[in-house]
Amino acid sequence: MLATIVDTTELWQTVVAALIASLGMTFTFSLVILGVARLADRARDDRPAAAAGAGLLAVTGLVLTVAGIALGMVVMLSK
Amino acid sequence: MSEDVILVIVVATALAFDFTNGFHDTANVVATSISTKAMSPRLAVGFAAILNFVGAFISLEVAATVANDVVEGGAITPTVVFAGLIGAIAWNLLTWWFGLPSSSSHALIGGVVGAVIAAVGTGAVLGDGVLGKVLIPALLAPTVAFVAGVITINIAYGVTGRERPGPVTRGFRLGQIVSGGLLALAHGTNDAQKTMGVITLALIANGTLAEDAGVPFWVVVSAATAIALGTYTGGWRIIRTMGTRIIKMDSAQGFSAQGAGAATILASTHFGFPLSTTHVITGGVMGAGAGKRVSAVRWGLAGNILVAWLLTLPAAAAIGAAAYGFTSLFGDGAAGPVIVSLLSLGGVAAIFIHRARQGSPVPATG
Repeated sequence: MLATIVDTTELWQTVVAALIASLGMTFTFSLVILGVARLADRARDDRPAAAAGAGLLAVTGLVLTVAGIALGMVVMLSK
Repeated sequence: MSEDVILVIVVATALAFDFTNGFHDTANVVATSISTKAMSPRLAVGFAAILNFVGAFISLEVAATVANDVVEGGAITPTVVFAGLIGAIAWNLLTWWFGLPSSSSHALIGGVVGAVIAAVGTGAVLGDGVLGKVLIPALLAPTVAFVAGVITINIAYGVTGRERPGPVTRGFRLGQIVSGGLLALAHGTNDAQKTMGVITLALIANGTLAEDAGVPFWVVVSAATAIALGTYTGGWRIIRTMGTRIIKMDSAQGFSAQGAGAATILASTHFGFPLSTTHVITGGVMGAGAGKRVSAVRWGLAGNILVAWLLTLPAAAAIGAAAYGFTSLFGDGAAGPVIVSLLSLGGVAAIFIHRARQGSPVPATG
């Protein structure tokens, strides 16, 4: 009865989209912070290879965060 | 001529409602950013006002839901819309007076539904739309934001927990500029659209727009401006009372709460669900708090949200119906809305003067 009144597909998609967006943004941005924090520590410890790896992690996280937000905005504007 | 006077009164009342919506909700949007020192109060309020304005242009799905899925278009007259708005404003003021939790969004929809019932009966209420597009999403969305808040704070702590606290705190504060901006954007797009939907309903009822017409651009601009001005104006009062009202949390929690709230509101807006943004943001904040330490959360807030959810729609509907009945006493012309508007303005002025003398803070509704 309820399923015929309520558009469960839209509700389900809302739940999934909200969870994926918030979890994804938090994870990728946390990677940015992790990368930046380790970059500073490794550079100070004179470990250039580890510092470069941490820097790459930070940049990757930043790209993924920006891309995720941009994708979300494009989806919002497309309807 | 009489119809045009009523229409002008309806549009002005709707924009006034939108202004108060922004005024009340500033605290929800900026509190976490200010609490964690991610932004200064002045910057946070200005930033939120601008993004509220921009957000109103992102989507029109919620406006379409309010205009088409709640009540039968044929049952709507400008006087019905006016009575619905009066019902919503009166309920918001009443709950503000008694310090009860309230949702402007639910009050608005309840007011319109009540006025329609008083005008033409229950047959004109689209029960499926009210249940499927308003009631169930209203309960589901804060729950989703809560769950997202719990999970995201654990992700944030899990990924960055072994690093030195200084860079992590600074990093999440920077992140809060983005997550706080997204929250303001989400608030603007969902809340401003409710006013757009109501004004569109009135324009269709007046014959100014065709039944299948979309939301006119001037309606979008004026609703966006009203909510942004309300946010900016409300912010200065919030800044003055900030010392006692903010929630204590760290920057990772602030980021998680804002991200969870923004994602939930934006996803719901995309599908046209008119939410209580206050309830969703509260859900995100409680989730981020519970994810760190369950006992740190004021669980009474969850009960308050449930009470507000159960009470607001029927109560606003009852006041909307009474407002329609009272307005109709003066006939079909503009006399009823003019008299009720003047009485309402007088009542609102008296309430604010009384409260200003008492120095009471402004509660948040959404």
